Amino acid sequence: MTMVQAPLPATEAGNSSASVAGGRRGFSLVKARPWLLLAPGLIILAVLMLWPLVQVFLYSLQDYGLREINTGEQNWIGLENYGTALSDPQLWTVVLPNTVGFAAVAVFTTVAVGTLVALLLARLGTVWRTIVSSCIMVAWAMPAVTGTYVWTFIFDADRGIFNSVLTALGLIDEPVNWFTNQWSFYAIVLLNVVHHGFPFVAITVLAGLLGVSKEMLEAAALDGAGAWRRFWKIIFPTLKPVFSVVIILSTIWDFKVFAQVYLMPGGNGGNRSVLNLGVWSYVESFGQNKYGFGAALAVLLTLVLIGITIVYIRSLMKEDEL
Amino acid sequence: MNPRPSVLSRIGVGIAVAAVLTFTLFPVYWMVSSALDKKASSGGQSLLPQEFTFDNFAFVLTDGGFGTYLRNSAIVALVTVLVSAIVCLLAAVAVARFRFRFRTTVLMLILVVQMVPLEALVIPLFLQVKSLGLLNSILGLMVVYVALSLAFGIWMLRGFVAAVPVELEEAAYIDGASWWRMFRSILLPLVMPGLVATSIFSFITAWNEFIFAMTILGSATDQYTVSIGLKSFFGLHSNDWGSIMAASTIITVPVMVFFVIVQRRLSAGMVAGAVKG
Repeated sequence: MTMVQAPLPATEAGNSSASVAGGRRGFSLVKARPWLLLAPGLIILAVLMLWPLVQVFLYSLQDYGLREINTGEQNWIGLENYGTALSDPQLWTVVLPNTVGFAAVAVFTTVAVGTLVALLLARLGTVWRTIVSSCIMVAWAMPAVTGTYVWTFIFDADRGIFNSVLTALGLIDEPVNWFTNQWSFYAIVLLNVVHHGFPFVAITVLAGLLGVSKEMLEAAALDGAGAWRRFWKIIFPTLKPVFSVVIILSTIWDFKVFAQVYLMPGGNGGNRSVLNLGVWSYVESFGQNKYGFGAALAVLLTLVLIGITIVYIRSLMKEDEL
Repeated sequence: MNPRPSVLSRIGVGIAVAAVLTFTLFPVYWMVSSALDKKASSGGQSLLPQEFTFDNFAFVLTDGGFGTYLRNSAIVALVTVLVSAIVCLLAAVAVARFRFRFRTTVLMLILVVQMVPLEALVIPLFLQVKSLGLLNSILGLMVVYVALSLAFGIWMLRGFVAAVPVELEEAAYIDGASWWRMFRSILLPLVMPGLVATSIFSFITAWNEFIFAMTILGSATDQYTVSIGLKSFFGLHSNDWGSIMAASTIITVPVMVFFVIVQRRLSAGMVAGAVKG
């Protein structure tokens, strides 16, 4: 973990002298070189991510179904898909709460649990820290698809251990199906997402914590600052860049929860009360062949996500930190 | 922090550690123990495996088709790792070593791309891949996965590149080394930990990805990767939890081994990429 501190300095000096070194090789090449290096990456991103993004917007303005795919015709309908989506009551009562509300709870829980675990790890001796963090990595390594089936199995009505334990304790008389109710469904998704997501937060914050000056913390403790104050007055400000990245990435990941919902019983559109924006878009497109309408829903999801992230970035990072 | 922790606080830490370990490991334990327990498929399972068996694994690997799925996933993941490592490193050198116009724009663009939900990309890319005739083939998947792992890789690697002391490079220039030589013998070895971390990330991306695999591979079962393979297996044997957990275990183990081995490098890489570039 000592490497953690190493990459911090050296940048500013690095960039200026690198361009000096390049200056000997003539002007045009110096200017072109970064773009040559960037070219493969930018081309891939442009073709596979930016252009499709434009396309999904164009599809969202069309009535695009099987007939259009087969004939290649275009059937422009303006903003009608958006009108249909925005005037659908289930968007406001079911889908958006399941998307935005869930993401907010999931990000908060993931970051809180991850940070608490990191603080715990920082208190442990080297041996236990290595043991516990290795175990945490195991949770992280579990693929989303696998994790979803394991949690589904745990909460399965007939074979699940959760119901068996509750029955044995006398808390329920007959097996409960936890997947039909919107709240219990998303509680299970939350468990799944936090279980999969907190290790990244814990390991990243821990790496930062080990760089926080011990002397400062001890001095604060001697001056009578409790753990709560020490966290908010010393640890959090020092680790702010780390927290920014952790929060932004968790938001991006938790908004894009797809397999964790889609693969649970009823999650693939069978149970309308657990639909989220991503799953709705997918089942409209690939289940109903309404690619235009699905694209409109996907655009809405993208706008929500990008909007939230930009607000985050602007409040958490200054431009010169990039 | 406290030089002599009290007994009470040590007990508290002990309880907290136990809670974390239980939450973290129980699902993993449950997956493996169910996979090894005959009772998991027939009902009446309890916390410890009762009738120990490897039958579930044997069934999954032969009739379940996971031999093929594992091979496909390995091919897809390795190609993704190789291609994206090269592309990311080149781009990271550009943004970490050069100040040029639109540098911040490029960085922001890469970050924004990372935010685009796959559900939005899957519709146009599906229609594109379909018109190219690449549907039902892992070739189309690999291209998509490289794109998916680029943004993260570039952001992570640029921290490592920026951390390489530029004096080393200058010394090499003064000694008359070519740019390529400097790259190979100075930059590359020093950013290796970052490359390892980036490669793990793209490996995981390719190994775990679900929505594109489901959409692009359709019903071409011989091309299935492990994630879509597991879904189709679940569809055919939805009450055979022992086999489903065996399949899940088989999928998870390669990733876990990777993760635990590279843990230290990975976390260092995260922070280096996060803090400064």
